[in-house]
Amino acid sequence: MMSVIRINTTDKHIIHLAAIVGGTKSILYKKADLLAYDCDGFTIHKHLPRAVVFPKNTEEVSKLVKYCSEHGLPFLARGAGTGLSGGAIPVNGEVIISMVRMKKLISVDLENRRAVVEPGFVNLKLTNSISDRGYYYAPDPSSQYCCTIGGNVAENAGGAHCLKYGVTTNHILGLEVVLPNGDIIEIGRYGVLDEPGYDLLGVLTGSEGTLGIVTKITVRILKNPEGKQTVLAYFDKVEDGSQAVSDIISAGIVPAALEMMDKTAIEAVEAAAFPVGHPKDIEAVLLIEVDGITAGIEEQINQILEVCKKSNVREVRAAKDEEERGRWWANRKTGFGAMGAISPDYLVQDGVIPRSKLPEILRKIAQISEESGLRIANIFHAGDGNLHPLVLFDARKPGEIERALEAGSACLKACAEVGGTITGEHGVGIEKREEMWFVFKEEEILAQTNIREVFNPDNLLNAGKLFPTPGRCVEIKKEMKV
Amino acid sequence: MSVKESELNQEPPCTSSLGNYLWSDPPQEKKWADCVHCGMCLESCPTYEQSGEEQHSPRGRVYLIKAVAEGKLNVDEHFADPVFSCLDCRACTTACPVDVDVGGLIEEARGQIRQAIPLKGWKGAVNKFFLHGVFPHPNRLHTLGDLLRFYQKSGLQNVVRKTKLINIMPQHLMELESIMPEVKGSVRKNNPSVIKTKGETKNEVSLLTGCVMDVFFSDINQSTINVLTRNGNDVSIPENQTCCGALHVHAGDREMGRKLAKQNIIAFEDADKVIVNAAGCGCMMKEYSELFRDEPEWEERAKVFEEKVVDISKYLYDTGYEKPKAMINTRITYHDACHLAHGQGVRKEPRDILLDIPGVEMVHMPNADRCCGSAGIYNITNPEMADAVLKSKMKNVPEGVEMISMGNPGCMMQMALGVQKYGRNQKIVHTVQLLDWAYQKEEGDSNDVSHKN
Repeated sequence: MMSVIRINTTDKHIIHLAAIVGGTKSILYKKADLLAYDCDGFTIHKHLPRAVVFPKNTEEVSKLVKYCSEHGLPFLARGAGTGLSGGAIPVNGEVIISMVRMKKLISVDLENRRAVVEPGFVNLKLTNSISDRGYYYAPDPSSQYCCTIGGNVAENAGGAHCLKYGVTTNHILGLEVVLPNGDIIEIGRYGVLDEPGYDLLGVLTGSEGTLGIVTKITVRILKNPEGKQTVLAYFDKVEDGSQAVSDIISAGIVPAALEMMDKTAIEAVEAAAFPVGHPKDIEAVLLIEVDGITAGIEEQINQILEVCKKSNVREVRAAKDEEERGRWWANRKTGFGAMGAISPDYLVQDGVIPRSKLPEILRKIAQISEESGLRIANIFHAGDGNLHPLVLFDARKPGEIERALEAGSACLKACAEVGGTITGEHGVGIEKREEMWFVFKEEEILAQTNIREVFNPDNLLNAGKLFPTPGRCVEIKKEMKV
Repeated sequence: MSVKESELNQEPPCTSSLGNYLWSDPPQEKKWADCVHCGMCLESCPTYEQSGEEQHSPRGRVYLIKAVAEGKLNVDEHFADPVFSCLDCRACTTACPVDVDVGGLIEEARGQIRQAIPLKGWKGAVNKFFLHGVFPHPNRLHTLGDLLRFYQKSGLQNVVRKTKLINIMPQHLMELESIMPEVKGSVRKNNPSVIKTKGETKNEVSLLTGCVMDVFFSDINQSTINVLTRNGNDVSIPENQTCCGALHVHAGDREMGRKLAKQNIIAFEDADKVIVNAAGCGCMMKEYSELFRDEPEWEERAKVFEEKVVDISKYLYDTGYEKPKAMINTRITYHDACHLAHGQGVRKEPRDILLDIPGVEMVHMPNADRCCGSAGIYNITNPEMADAVLKSKMKNVPEGVEMISMGNPGCMMQMALGVQKYGRNQKIVHTVQLLDWAYQKEEGDSNDVSHKN
C-alpha cells in the first residue's frame, strides 16, 4: 500500500500518515500550506503543525490516532478553525486531524426530532436542510455560517438564542468518539437524555478536544416557532439599557434572544459591511427577540416596549418585516469581524456575570480600557449575562499584544470578582488557561485533570489547552488576594 | 536575477518592495489590514467547499499573501498554488463583515508571482499566444473566429468529431469544443459606428463590444444594441476600443492589463456611458484605477472612466425601459454571474427585467450567486476544480425550467457545458436576449396584426 504513495518528504511519519488517508490529496506537509494552519480564530499565538490530515471516515480517524499515539506524536482535531480561544492551535507542533471532509448529514428523523451528522457538517447547514419541513437546530453561534458542529461540541458553543434554548450540550443526544488510543466508543446510543451510568455526553461536550475526537453526532432538532418578532431599543445610558434587561426577565418574559452592543461596538458594526443606521451617540442598543405561539407574541412585544419606555429608552420599535429583522441580525452577528473596520486586531473575551452586575462590570471594563490605553468594545448576550469585551489593538505596535492580553485578563478577573466566571461559550483554549485560577481551587483543577488522565493518559491529544500549567497557581492566588 | 527580469519588463527595479514582494505594485497592506481571521468567508468559497483546505480558502489566501509581505514566505510555486486556485469570484467579499477585497489582493499577488516565475513551456506559449497575440487584436480574433466558423460550417467539425481525431485533445478541452457557440458575424464589422434609435433620442451611450464576445456572442451584442435603441438610446461603437484586460489581470499580467486599460480609457473618452454586457469585463473596467497606483495621472483618468461603466441590466433598470407586450411563455431560472452580483452588486435589476416579460415564470435557484467554475479561463487552467464547482452548480438548477438566464458570456459557456455534461436540457440565454426576443415578438405580432388589417 505504501509503495503507491508518492510523496516528497523524508519524514517517515508523514509517509505513514499519508498512507492511512489514502494519498497526497489528503495530507498537507509543505510549509506554505501549513502556515495557514498556524492559528485559528485566536490569532495571538501561532505555531506550525507537523502536518494536516483529512480523514474521510471514523476508521481513518481511528488509524491516524492510533498511529500518533503509538509513535508519541502530539495531535489534535480541528473543525473550521473559527474558535476564539486557540483550541485548535498546534502549540506542540501537532499533527492536525482536520474533520472538514467528514461533512455529511447522515440522517434526519423528524418523528423523533433528531438528526445525525458528521463532525465537519456546518452548523447553519443543518437548519437549512430541514427548515422547509418546519424544523431547525437551535444553537446558533455567530459563526454558524461556517463553524462545524464537531467544533461546537468541543467548545460547547453557545449563541444569541441560547438564552431560551440552552447551549450545545442541551442539544446533544449521542456521540461516536475516537479515544486517544484509537478505540471507537459510542455514547448516548439510544438518544435519550438520561442514560444509565455516568453522563459522559456532558463530560465530552465542552472538553475542548482533550478527551477524544468526535466522529458522529446525534443532535436534537426543534420545530420552528410559529412566530417571532424582534425589537430594537436605543438607550442614552448603559445603566438604563441594563435596567431594561433585568426588568424584561423580571416581568416573566423569556426572550429567545436578548443582545446588547455598546457605543464602540456600534461604531464598528456601522463602519462595516452590514450597517443598519444605529445612531452614533447612543450608549447601548438592545436587540430583543421573542418567539413561540403567534397568539402570545404581540402581548409580549407590548410588554417589552413598555419596560423599555420605563427605562428612559430613546427609541424603541419592533421590526416592520422579515427583511428588517434579518438586517438587524446580520449587523449583530457579524459584530466580531466588524472590529476589523476600526482596528487591525482584536482580542475577544468571554466573561459571564450575574445580570444585575452589568452596569458595575461595564464601569470596570471602561476603567481597564483607560488604564491599558486600548479601546474595548462590548457585545453581549445580555439576557444570560455572557459578555464579550473586545480589546482592540495593533499587533504591529510593540507591546500592544501583551497589553491586550493583560486587559483581557483583567476583564475576566473583574467578572470573577463580581461572582461570575471566565468563559460562557468560547472555551478556555490556550487563551484563558491561567485565568482558570480565578474560578477554581487547586483541588478542583486536579479533579478535572484526573478525568483527562483517564481518557488521555499520555496527554498527546491537544496538550497544553484548557488547564493552567501546574505551579503558577500560587502566584495567581496571591494576586487574587491583593 | 530578479533585477534582471524586472529590467526586461521595463519596470523600475524594486522601488516599492514589501517583504518578499520584490516588484512594484505589490498586494496592498490596506486591503488585508481589516481581516481579523474570523472565518465568516469560509463557506462562501467554492474552492474551500471542494477541498476543505485552509490555504484554498479566502481567509487562508489573505493570510499567506500577508505572510509574504511579512517575510515569512517566499514568492514561489508553493505560494502560487493557493493564489492561482482562487476563482476570483468575490463571493468572500460579499460574506466578509468588513468587505476585505480578496479578489484585488489575489490579482496583485498574481502580478508578483508571474514576474517571479514567468510561465514556461507550452503553458507559457499558449498564454502568450492568446493573452498577447489574440485577445488584444480584434482583427486577429475575428480571423480566428472565421477559422472556427469554417471549422463548424465546412463539415470539418463533424469529421473531427466522427473520426475521433478530437481525442487527441485533453478531456476538458474536448468538452469545451463540444459546446463552442456557433460563430456569427461581428457587430463591429456589420454596424455603422453610431446606431440611431428609431424614436426620439433620450441618451447617447457607447458599447463595449468585447473581444471574445464579438466573435462568439455577437448575437448578444446585437440584442444589446436592439434593446438600447428600442429604448431611446443612440449607440456608438468606438473604433479603437479593445479587450478589457480582465483575463490578463486575472492571469497576473498586469502590464498588459494596463496597456489595454489605457487604450480603452482613451477610446471611450467622449462617452457618457460605457455599456457592458459581460459581467467580467464590467467588473474589470470598474476597477481600472487599481492598476494605476503608481501612475497618478492615469489613476485619475481611470476613476473618471470607472464612473461611466455600467452593466446593461443596471443601465436599463436605472434609465427605464419599455415593458414588452408580447408573451414569452417559459419557465426560467437566473444565475448570478459572480462579477455582476459580488463584483458590481447587481442582483435585482436583471431579475426585474426578466419578470417584466409577460409569460416568464421565474423559479428560484438555490445558491444562485455561487460561481459556476468558468471564472475567465479558470476552466481551462484548472479543469479539475472547475468541473467540481460546475457539478455543485448544476445540482442547484431547478427541475423543470426551460432556460437559465445570466449576464456573462464566460458563465454561459460553462453552464452550457454543465447542461450537456450532466444530462440537463436547459437553454442558456443572456438577460438582454430574452428581452430582445420579447420586443421582436411584439413587433412581429403587430406586423401580423397589420397584415390582417
